[in-house]
Amino acid sequence: MNTKVKVIPCSGIGKVFGLMAREAVLKTVHELCPDKSETVCLAYIVTGDKEAKEKIEGCDCITVDGCPKMCASKNVLITGGIVKEAIKVLDTVKEHKGKQFGTPTQLDADGKEVINEIAVKIAKKINEIS
Amino acid sequence: MVENYAILPCNGLDKCAGVISGEIAVKLCESGKNTIICPVFSKIADAKYRKITDEHPLLVIDGCATRCASKIAAEKNYRIFRKITVTEEAKRHHIELKDNLRLLEDDNSLVEIIVDGFSDAGGMAAGVSEESGFSFEFEYETFQKDKFIFRVPRNTSVYFNENDCWAYVIGNRARIGVTDFVQQNLSDILYFIPPEIGAIISQFDAAGEIESSKALVDIISPVSGMVVSINEMLVQKPELINENPYESGWIAELELTDFESDKELLIGFDKYFELMKKKVEG
Repeated sequence: MNTKVKVIPCSGIGKVFGLMAREAVLKTVHELCPDKSETVCLAYIVTGDKEAKEKIEGCDCITVDGCPKMCASKNVLITGGIVKEAIKVLDTVKEHKGKQFGTPTQLDADGKEVINEIAVKIAKKINEIS
Repeated sequence: MVENYAILPCNGLDKCAGVISGEIAVKLCESGKNTIICPVFSKIADAKYRKITDEHPLLVIDGCATRCASKIAAEKNYRIFRKITVTEEAKRHHIELKDNLRLLEDDNSLVEIIVDGFSDAGGMAAGVSEESGFSFEFEYETFQKDKFIFRVPRNTSVYFNENDCWAYVIGNRARIGVTDFVQQNLSDILYFIPPEIGAIISQFDAAGEIESSKALVDIISPVSGMVVSINEMLVQKPELINENPYESGWIAELELTDFESDKELLIGFDKYFELMKKKVEG
């Protein structure tokens, strides 16, 4: 059985905080914890893709949402994933008041700094639960 | 540049084609007054996006053949005005997509090509057929019998039926027309009777007629769908079909309703070329 923690960001298209959620997740699963985690595309989950559902159902998941609508967290829960941690990009962003993070397509240095921080938080949680 | 569109891209998290679809959507929004529909949020924000999709033509950008964005649009009953799939566009432009999630030079070129391709599409909302994104840069295979030359486009997006009609399919749209075999047999085409815009046509139904001094023939549609535009030039100049039935002589454009099923009864270049040769030799 695949026991990797599933780390799922929101779609985040067209919004800088959404982009940060995606980037933080990609950094985590590809660089920080490649052996302990993997990601699943949220669109597969919401369109009812069988393989995506099987991947997260009953599995430990960490969701990362760019805005308070919490699409990733809600949809993973609906699909039967166990959300061990629902990370909000905004919580970390709030600690960096006054900084410019970039655009919906390109993060600035401050934006990259924040995604590194979020990625470290995700990795810490992965290490705790795996 | 396209403006006032609602754009529904795929989520595009774990595949290069998906990342490209998101990039295209964002670039189209940055350069025109378009609105992105978040594929995931649209699942729960029906009222918000319903208004946008009711008021604006919808462009769906799928990354790969899984077509999540299309599925979401179908589930929501959004009326798709135009649809593209990044992997198909890449193939069409001979760009190879790899596993990278950071866009490389080729990927950015593809984004640019597709975004630029929309720069001429402003008239699409008014149903201006010349601007619907079909580009004709076909490579042809030819077969000669006496003085007659028969060409067939070698393109994986072009399908044929055994009635010597073709359909060039992009996303959920197709242009249809007749092949060289028809126009060579008819000789000088004198009249073109187009199908009605808005008509619902089933596969193998007649989609207009063409007439020469030799015969009157029905154009047998290879695909089912609704006629969204016709080649109005043909009404004045039906001889364009003789000049090039695949390019300036296209007949009509259809919004497809069941292409996956239609496809089962169509053939590609290889089979049609052989079939046509047999008919010519006949």
